[in-house]
Amino acid sequence: MNAPVASSHRASRLTQVRARASGNLVLGGLIIVLVALTLGMGALEPLFHALFPELRNPLYARDSFLNLMLAHIGLVLVSSLISVTIGIAAGLFVTRPVGREFEPMVSSLAAIGQTFPPAAVLAIAVPLAGFGFAPTIIALSLYGLLPVIQNTIAGLGTVPQTTLEAARGNGMSRTQILMRVELPLAMRVIIAGIRVSVIINIGTATIGSTVGAKSLGTPLIAGLVGNNLAYVIQGALLVGLLAIVTDLLFERLERRYSFGG
Amino acid sequence: MIELKGLTKRYAGKSVVDDISLTLEDGEFGVLIGPSGCGKSTTLKMINRLIPASGGQILLNGDDVADLPVEQLRRRIGYAIQSTGLFPHWDVARNIATVPQLLKWPKSRIDDRVDELMALFHLDPAEFRGKYPHQLSGGQAQRVGVARALAADPEVLLMDEPFGAVDPLTREVLQAEMKRVHQQTGKTIVFVTHDMDEALSLATRIALLNQGRLVQYDRPIELMVEPADDFVREFIGQADLGLKLLSRRWVHQYQREARLQQTETLDSLHAHGWLIDDQGRPSALAGARLDDADAITRVKPEWIATPEMSMKEALSRMVWYRVMVLPVVDDAGKLIGEVGMQGVMGMQDEPEGALS
Ligand SMILES: Nc1ncnc2c1ncn2[C@@H]1O[C@H](COP(=O)(O)OP(=O)(O)OP(=O)(O)O)[C@@H](O)[C@H]1O
Ligand SMILES: [Mg+2]
Repeated sequence: MNAPVASSHRASRLTQVRARASGNLVLGGLIIVLVALTLGMGALEPLFHALFPELRNPLYARDSFLNLMLAHIGLVLVSSLISVTIGIAAGLFVTRPVGREFEPMVSSLAAIGQTFPPAAVLAIAVPLAGFGFAPTIIALSLYGLLPVIQNTIAGLGTVPQTTLEAARGNGMSRTQILMRVELPLAMRVIIAGIRVSVIINIGTATIGSTVGAKSLGTPLIAGLVGNNLAYVIQGALLVGLLAIVTDLLFERLERRYSFGG
Repeated sequence: MIELKGLTKRYAGKSVVDDISLTLEDGEFGVLIGPSGCGKSTTLKMINRLIPASGGQILLNGDDVADLPVEQLRRRIGYAIQSTGLFPHWDVARNIATVPQLLKWPKSRIDDRVDELMALFHLDPAEFRGKYPHQLSGGQAQRVGVARALAADPEVLLMDEPFGAVDPLTREVLQAEMKRVHQQTGKTIVFVTHDMDEALSLATRIALLNQGRLVQYDRPIELMVEPADDFVREFIGQADLGLKLLSRRWVHQYQREARLQQTETLDSLHAHGWLIDDQGRPSALAGARLDDADAITRVKPEWIATPEMSMKEALSRMVWYRVMVLPVVDDAGKLIGEVGMQGVMGMQDEPEGALS
């Protein structure tokens, strides 16, 4: 009676292992392509010449792609750090007894923040913070806040009441319950929120170039303004690859925090 | 020892637990029982202060629980609930180790304690230590839940319908295990259920609640033979009260001397007699068959009684195997007496003895 169950179990384990191995391969390949293009876009110059014979300079050369990539990652990293810190703190606050009454207000504030187009947020931020890095960070942080807040609240909400009762009944303090039970159990959903926030910001960070923040958006905007499609492709290719690789990395991180439903 | 003194809980002016006073001595198995919503869980949770009391006092071994730091209090009290409340992100060993870890026991002591508890609940550490709650059956999860509650050797164990969500067969196994664990550990237990059979089989004391009030607090047998009022009588259940009573009475209270005979012929002067082998074990019964009163019947292991067997079980065996008497044997299997259908109607020794 047990044999077929056991063997089908083993089979599903095997396909799982296979899927994971091929997933590794895809991720590894994409990372290599991303690094190679960032460091050696110049090697593709003949290709871009062939594709865009009418352009005199089909390869963006005002800055190295490595510099642009690092600046872009820097923008995303700093703004995401701010979104995550504020977002998780706000999510925690409104799910504690002291902050419960602020929950509707915080949720709708964050939601309103997301309905503004990022360009509009930039337009407001520039007169306040000047040109360059600072207004971009403000816009990105605001923009990435909502998914983190929403998922922090949702993730903490998935922790069953009986689990919390057991934690209290076994003599855990509030902090112990939060650190040992609530956060680990909510982590998968919270990370999913961070994932959305970071991916949105990787895309949105390109707009920072319009107010003078260096990023992978710089060749993109330059290409749009100067009617140079090759620049646009070079910028977009790197932004897209960066987003996909980051997304896959987050997927693996999320998987670590699933505890069999 | 747990003492409740005038314990009261009010929600919006309405008392859901109303002036309950009772004392549970060390080592007793106390059961709180009553209809749904009568305040059982509320009473239980006031003991470990998951719910604050509105009035009255609870003493745990003489200490007022209200005076103790709440986390410290809860680490002195085991708590097991119906849904187990196991932490899904921790394996079995870590779940059981919850309170010892909070108490910062050294790792080797925690490991030893986890193994000891797993052995107590017949869970093979090699197989189960590293399993996660979602990989356990309902019965196994419940065992782990109780093991966790016992981990730091608490002074009392509180259990809120721990076996309410498992199937009837598993429930019986878990009840038997709980009985054994209670005997082995000598823990004072407060156990909530709304299943009267469960209460009668486990309790040494039963507190029957109705609408927040304590209706009767007695030993199980007293609840049955001297119900305080109609509510108690009705709650215990009229239908099989006789059988319930027998489930709290033991073969040794009804045991009679067994008459031995040497030959396999029926001695017509006496209704029946026993043949024994050279080691004194019952081998055959002459007479006393329901269908064939004169037959010689080989004794089968299935219808042998022991002194500790409940009379309900003995009676059940008589009916099922169609014999009017069962041989009673000691640990070595030697015939020491018999228990018969007629005996069920009256006890052999004085009634005081049955009230235990
Ligand atoms: N937070 C609360 N606010 C108001 N009333 C409550 C609250 N908690 C419980 N009650 C009421 O208190 C009464 C007792 O509840 P309790 O949970 O102790 O019942 P119980 O005997 O455990 O019932 P069950 O067998 O269904 O578990 C119920 O009538 C319930 O509606
Ligand atoms: Mg209840």
